[in-house]
Amino acid sequence: MPVQLRGVVKRYGRRTVLDCVTCEVPPGITGLVGPNGAGKSTLVRAILGLVRLAAGEVRVFGRDPARDARAVRQLVGVVPEDECAVPGLAAVEMVRYAARLSGLPGTEALRRAHEVLDWCDAGQERYRPVETLSVGVRQKVAFAAAIVHDPRMVILDEPTNGLDPIERRAMLGRLTTLAHDHGKTVFVSTHVLPDVQSICDRVIVLAAGRVRLEGRLDDLTRPVAPLLRLEVAGSVDACVTRLAAAGIHAVGIDAATLHLPAQDADGLDRVWQAAREAGVVVRALTPVQERFEDVFLQAIAEPREAAHAAP
Amino acid sequence: MPLHDVGYRSWRGRRRGPWSAAVAIATTGIRLAWTSRWLRRAVFFAWSPALFFAASFFAFEQAIDEGRIASLQERAVRGSNLDGIGLLGTILADTLGKSDAANPHLTREAEVAATRRLVWSRLLLAFMRAPQAVLLAIVVGLVAPTLISRDLRAKAWLVYFTRPLGGIHYIVGKIVVLSTVVAAVTVLPALALWFAGVLVSPSGWVITETWDLPLKIVAGSVALAIPTVLLALAYSSLTAESRIATFAWFATWAACWIAHSSLATADFVAAMDAHAAAVADGAEADEDGWRPPPRRVNWVARAAGIDTTIDRWSWLSPYHAVGVIQAWIFGVETRPQAVLPPAIALVTVSLASILVLAWRVAAPLRA
Repeated sequence: MPVQLRGVVKRYGRRTVLDCVTCEVPPGITGLVGPNGAGKSTLVRAILGLVRLAAGEVRVFGRDPARDARAVRQLVGVVPEDECAVPGLAAVEMVRYAARLSGLPGTEALRRAHEVLDWCDAGQERYRPVETLSVGVRQKVAFAAAIVHDPRMVILDEPTNGLDPIERRAMLGRLTTLAHDHGKTVFVSTHVLPDVQSICDRVIVLAAGRVRLEGRLDDLTRPVAPLLRLEVAGSVDACVTRLAAAGIHAVGIDAATLHLPAQDADGLDRVWQAAREAGVVVRALTPVQERFEDVFLQAIAEPREAAHAAP
Repeated sequence: MPLHDVGYRSWRGRRRGPWSAAVAIATTGIRLAWTSRWLRRAVFFAWSPALFFAASFFAFEQAIDEGRIASLQERAVRGSNLDGIGLLGTILADTLGKSDAANPHLTREAEVAATRRLVWSRLLLAFMRAPQAVLLAIVVGLVAPTLISRDLRAKAWLVYFTRPLGGIHYIVGKIVVLSTVVAAVTVLPALALWFAGVLVSPSGWVITETWDLPLKIVAGSVALAIPTVLLALAYSSLTAESRIATFAWFATWAACWIAHSSLATADFVAAMDAHAAAVADGAEADEDGWRPPPRRVNWVARAAGIDTTIDRWSWLSPYHAVGVIQAWIFGVETRPQAVLPPAIALVTVSLASILVLAWRVAAPLRA
C-alpha cells in the first residue's frame, strides 16, 4: 500500500486540524475532497513529513516520513497549491533545477526537463522566466517539476487551478496516463468534484479533520436501490405506459429519459419489447449512478447536522 | 507537439546524494546573482584597488633592485615619513624606522627577504582591510538579502523541502553562493596582487620566501567571510522583504562603525589629555613605554597595522573586529588582549547567525 495513515492527529495550538484520521491511498488515482479548512493540505503535509503529528503514524511505501523524510520525498513528487518557483529561472531551468534537487545529474536533468515539458505541452513558453508565465503554464511547469524525477507517487493540490477547459482535460488525461499506463500512485486534493468523478478510482472525503467517507467511487455513487436509465427517442409517456403494462414501474425524468428498477435478463427482454411496442428508439440503457456531488454533500452534511442537534 | 515528443518515460538512472542538491543550489544561486548588473559592476570595481597596491609592490621591488632600500631605511630612521612614495613610504617608514640605527647589512639577502616579508604582509593586510572589506560589505549587501528572503516571498521553500534534501544542504548551498562572491572580491584580487609582487620582484625565488602569504590570504578571507556571510544570510532568512534585509545589513555595518569610531575617538582624546597633563607635570610620558597615538596615521596605514595602540572597542564593529583577526593571521598583531575580544565577538555573531538560520529554515518543517 503506497500510503497508510493510522489515527493521525494534528493540532495547531488548541485547534485540532486532523482528528484521528485513518485511511489508505492504494495504487491508482485517489481523490481527497473536502470543504475549505477540512485539513486536506495538512494531510498532504503529514504524508510528506512536513508537520509534526500529535499522535498516529504515517507510512509511505512502508517508510515513516517523519524519520525517513528524504527517502520518502525521493519517491514522491508534489504539485503544491501555492505557486512556488524560483524567480529569475526560465521554465525549463526551473524543471531542471527540480530534477537536480532530486539527485539527477546535470545533463540528464536538462534532457529529462525537456522531455517532461514536451509531454506537458509547454511549447516555447519553457524559455520564459517563470514569474512571467500565465497561471496555466505555471501549473504545467509545477507539474513537470513534480514528475521530472520519475516518482512512484504524485501528490497534487488543486492541479486544475487556473486551467482552461482544454488544458484541464489534458491535465486530467496526463494523470490518468501516469496512473494507468505507468503504474504511478496519484493522490489529488481538490475542490472540483467533476474532476474527481472523471478520473478518480477512490475517494477520501475529509471534513472538520475527520474522514467522513472513503471508498471506491463506483461503490460510493451506487444507489441503494439499483436503477436503470433508459434514454429514448420518441414518446416517454407511451414508453412508461407500455412498461407498466409489462409489470415494470418506470418514471419519466425528462423528455427523453426515464428510470426503471434494475432488471434481470427476462426483465430486460420485456423492456426491449415495451419500447418496440411504444414505437420509441432506445438510445442508451445504463445503470443509474448517484452524482458524486450529492454523495459528497450528504457526507459532509450529516455529522454537522448531528453536531448541531447535539445539546 | 514537438517532433521528438516521446510521451512520458520512466527514468532509471542513478541518483546522487543530497549534497548534489547543495551544489545545484550553489551553482544556480551564483548564476542568478551574477545576472545583477550592479553586482557585476561592484565585483569589477573591487579589483581596481589592486592596481594601486600593485604599484606599491613594484616600487618596493624596484627599490630593492636598485639597492636603495638601505638609504630608505636611513631616511626612515631620521624621521622622514617617505611620503614621496605614498602608502609604501608610510609602511616602509614604520617597518624600517624601528631600528635604532640604519642597518648597513640591509642589502644582504636575508635582511632583504625579512623586510620583504614584512612589507608584503602589511601591504596585503592593508589591501584586504581597507578597500576590500568595505567593498565586501557592499557586494554582500547586494547579493545576500535576496538569497533566502526571495525564496520566502515566492514560497519556493516547497521547491526545496518536498525534495530529498535537508535544511543543512539548503543552508550550505546558500553559503557557497555568498562565499563565492566574497572570494571574487577578496581572495582572488589579493592572490593576484601577491602574484603580481612575484612577477615584479627581481627573482622568482621570492615565491619560496613568501609561500605562506597566499595561505594567509585565504585564511584572512575565511575569517572575513564566515561572520559576514552568516550574519547577512541570517538577516535574509528573517524577512520575506529583501529590502528590509538589505537595510538591516547596511545599518548594522554603519551603526557599528559609528559606535566604534565614537568610542575610539573618546579614548584617543582622553589619552591625549592625560599625556598633556603628565607632560605639564614634568613627568616623562613614555617612561612606562606608552606613547600618544600618532595623529596622522591615515586609514589605510592604520589598516596595515601601523597603529600599535590596542583598539579596545574593536569587538563592537564587524569591520574592525575582522581587521584585528586578519592582522593576527598576517602576524602583525600578536597580543592576546587585542585579539581575544574581537575573536569572541565574531564567534558569537557567527554562532547566533547559525542558530537563526537553522531556526528559520526549519520553520516550515516545525509546524
